[in-house]
Amino acid sequence: MSHSPALTVERPSAAPPPMRHGSSTKRKQNIAAYLFVLPFFVVFVAMLVVPLVYSGYLSLFESKLIGGDAFAGLANYVRALQDSAFLASIGRMGLFFVIQVPIMLGLALFLALALDTGRARGSKGVRLLVFMPYAVPAVVATLMWGYLYGPDFGPIAQVARAVGFGTPDFLSPVNILGSMMNIVTWEFVGYNMIIMYAALRSIPGELYEAAEIDGAGQFRIAWSVKIPAIRPAILLTVIFSIIGTFQLFAEPSLLNAIAPDAITNSFTPNYYAYNLAFINQELNYAAAIAFLLGLFIAIVSYIVQLSSQRRERRERSAS
Amino acid sequence: MRNAPRTALSLGAGAVAAALILSGCTPGGGDEGGDNGPITEEQREEALNTPTELTFWTWVPDIENEVALFEEKYPEIDVTVENVGQGLPHYQKLRSAIEAGEGAPDVAQIEYQYIPSFVLSESLLDLTPYGAEDLSGDYVDWAWNQVAPDEAIWAIPQDVGPMGNLYREDILAQAGITEPPATWEEYATAARAVKDATGSYISNLGATQAGQMIGFFWQRGVKPFGYDGEETVSIEVNSDEAKEVATYWTELIQQDLVSTDVDFNDQWYQGLANGKYAGWLTAAWGPVFLQGTAEGTSGLWRAAPLPQWAEGEQVAGNWGGSSDAVLASSENPIAAYELAKFINHDEESAMMLATEQFLYPPQLSVLEDTAFIDQESEFYGGQQVNKLFADISETVDTDFQWLPFMDYVYSTYEETMGTVIADKGDIAAALDEWQDQLVSYAEDQGFTVE
Amino acid sequence: MTALDTRAAVTIGDTTGSRRAKRNFDPKKRRSVLLTVLLWLCVLYFVLPLWWLLVSATKDNSGLFSTFGLWFGGGFSFFENLQTLFTVRDGIFARWLVNTLVYSLASAVGATLLATMAGYAFAKYEFPGKKALFSATLGAIMIPLTALALPTYLLFSEAGLTDTPWAVIVPSLVTPFGVYLMRVYAADAVDDSLIEAARVDGAGEFRIFWQVGLRLLGPGLVTVFLFSLVATWNNYFLPLIMLNTSDLYPITVGLAQLQAAASAGGGSQALFSTVITGSFVSILPLIIAFLFLQRYWQSGLSTGSVKG
Repeated sequence: MSHSPALTVERPSAAPPPMRHGSSTKRKQNIAAYLFVLPFFVVFVAMLVVPLVYSGYLSLFESKLIGGDAFAGLANYVRALQDSAFLASIGRMGLFFVIQVPIMLGLALFLALALDTGRARGSKGVRLLVFMPYAVPAVVATLMWGYLYGPDFGPIAQVARAVGFGTPDFLSPVNILGSMMNIVTWEFVGYNMIIMYAALRSIPGELYEAAEIDGAGQFRIAWSVKIPAIRPAILLTVIFSIIGTFQLFAEPSLLNAIAPDAITNSFTPNYYAYNLAFINQELNYAAAIAFLLGLFIAIVSYIVQLSSQRRERRERSAS
Repeated sequence: MRNAPRTALSLGAGAVAAALILSGCTPGGGDEGGDNGPITEEQREEALNTPTELTFWTWVPDIENEVALFEEKYPEIDVTVENVGQGLPHYQKLRSAIEAGEGAPDVAQIEYQYIPSFVLSESLLDLTPYGAEDLSGDYVDWAWNQVAPDEAIWAIPQDVGPMGNLYREDILAQAGITEPPATWEEYATAARAVKDATGSYISNLGATQAGQMIGFFWQRGVKPFGYDGEETVSIEVNSDEAKEVATYWTELIQQDLVSTDVDFNDQWYQGLANGKYAGWLTAAWGPVFLQGTAEGTSGLWRAAPLPQWAEGEQVAGNWGGSSDAVLASSENPIAAYELAKFINHDEESAMMLATEQFLYPPQLSVLEDTAFIDQESEFYGGQQVNKLFADISETVDTDFQWLPFMDYVYSTYEETMGTVIADKGDIAAALDEWQDQLVSYAEDQGFTVE
Repeated sequence: MTALDTRAAVTIGDTTGSRRAKRNFDPKKRRSVLLTVLLWLCVLYFVLPLWWLLVSATKDNSGLFSTFGLWFGGGFSFFENLQTLFTVRDGIFARWLVNTLVYSLASAVGATLLATMAGYAFAKYEFPGKKALFSATLGAIMIPLTALALPTYLLFSEAGLTDTPWAVIVPSLVTPFGVYLMRVYAADAVDDSLIEAARVDGAGEFRIFWQVGLRLLGPGLVTVFLFSLVATWNNYFLPLIMLNTSDLYPITVGLAQLQAAASAGGGSQALFSTVITGSFVSILPLIIAFLFLQRYWQSGLSTGSVKG
């Protein structure tokens, strides 16, 4: 993982200062560095590592309402891999990822590129307004969209009826996944756009100055100069989206209030783990599910990175 | 209090009951009084005259007023009322706090169907030694059986929900129906007439509303659940009678005579207010609730008993209702018991619960009080609705039981029954699926299933 | 992950330095009408739901269900709604607002400080174990946090810290992503020669950090602060699990509880319009803070580009 060629792209400025001092200076600097990272890692260990280990410990046990607990080894993991509800939830999120993420990131990329050209009026306003949903809590966003989706009083249905399209049923079991995709897209396009936009602003002008003078159109420049240049930032948003998608929790749990027939207990893996722990009172099994989920996310993220690197290498050697 | 709709909005909270089993420890004792015999009058006096702080978890709005009466009577005792959520989140928080060994209240509101799960975890105090036995005659039988299913007494009944039929007289009249349907057969005929004449549904069957369906079972004499207080449960949600109920609703739904909207959300509220539903088969807490929801239709509604399975019979089911229990971990069990008792037994307090919070009373003193039952309700065209439900209350089957894992029961109901009802599928067939899941869960959890 | 961080670091880190070059390069732009229209159409999608919220906050319960959702109608009840909102349950809503503010600010300040120190160290020092520590930090981004909620709760209750503000604030202090961002910014914004010069002058490492580093890290600080603020402000799950006393609730948990009470009726509490008004009020401070910080962030960026 650490031997990828990309590692060599370290910024010069980030490289350590040349060593001109004695080893005592070096030691002093090491101590300073440790002291700098210490506060973060104290909280990190206490709030992430310890609960994680504890949770891993819990996942090795089996508890019953009658008869108490017993060491179960990997039984919970075996059960999880055969649990059709869990596998279906992973599949559902896979579908979510394949459809929603490209739309969301595509839209974010389009907006970022459009804003970067500076050719639209009120760019600053656009940027701000598109980013605004990020500041809306998931609780409020889902509540709001719940009303907007409403078949009788939701404005979307009102408009649809007025123009003769009939009443769309956003909350039916068939459509709920799409409706959820929409909420997540609405919440996070702005966030991803900002990441990409920041990356675009950092492309040195000289890179496409030449192209522009050559008379290349904006689309060409965007496609062959800008997008390749911000590929790492795009990769970052993809990774975040993988993590975000497979960890979806607030949206399904809040949508369950208005569409309990459409949102099953195992709608998303994370929501399933939660319900296992809190409704079924199977905390240990829930811990195993959560562990597998984390592992799965790590593997998918790694594969995405790897394939992206391979592609880049291929392109580099081709040119 | 009615069975709160199981909203996921409220799904949060940290129940850790599984961890409780895992760590193998059960909190508190539950037998402090049991070993030492009954509490004496001196002990009671002493406890009530010692400065004491109590915490009371409940979601009854403005119950502070009743608590104030208690504090007035016992000035040494200071009660903090806390609303930690309604229904499910409330129980999850309660379990977490019990498991954590601190932060649990002294007294907690618990709906009847959840009592067994707290009995199972030995979290409740047996109130027998504190004198609760003496109260048994002061409540309707079946409500008392809910809090005292066996030897022990686990809580004091607070309110109940005997079921009836609220309907729009004007809409039914348009369909030529002048008397509320007396039998389910008549109800089905009326449903057809109402739909044809007015386009309204005669009522709505909340797709995921287990409480309502279980209420119907209760009326039909189905005994879907049983629990011996130890390790044995009985589960039979797919009995012939249950299937009869299910098939009845399947037919109405498939003919589009009854809607299956999810209840207790804004769409559903509006359906009640704008005549989409010409009626609501609900519990005794329903009338006032409806009044607040459909103000615009005041005077048009009437109340009647549920339609019957056999002509001439009078049987009802129950939907919802709560009790107040004392937790085994309470350090001031005597004062805590007195609080639970006072709120639901003191005449003034009980009357306030019925007339200010509109909880339907299980207390005979209120049910027999003319100030309560003779009240005429304008919303129902001057009908004495309280009187009607007081009569219905006497017809509720007395030995209905629950399982010690109702969270799971309701959650699987949504998964198995809820989706089928929403899809207008065969509800009777879904009962088998529900049954299978419940049995397999119970066995996995180590229960003996009869 | 290592590959990811360095490479992404390059792109984001550059934000500070190279805007100037670009601005010089493009003094005048041709405006494109098509693009403008397209962009503002997109904006509609993002703004309409919020517009609906604003409009709905002015309606009473019956107006909510009897008028067109995207326009005013059925009387103007905004102030009545506000009044109900701030008086329901003895005005507990104001309390929730204050709680949210306290939790978010405390978490954001703490998280930013921790992340800045760690990020600065990762960017500017070579020390044994650096790579391992940094990988661990990045790996942590992938942990499903809800999975940790339960064990965290158990651990907190062992320590007797549940149902206290600490239970909400302390877990929010860990922002692996913040560390990552700060490393990126520090790598670029703090010039090594400045640090070297300060060292030659005899300044200690901590003085260099406080006096040289922090000043140059302004824009990064604001960004991390902003993200932590939003994260805590919007957090629903953690406080929901940790807190039992309604006086301690933040606004998200409070609103959800009000909404649950609204849909359950609670006797005669049909609180729909109150909940909607509450939602509206709850996002205002964040949007205002965001606008304010956005401006700061912009100016921070240009300051960064002047540096040298």
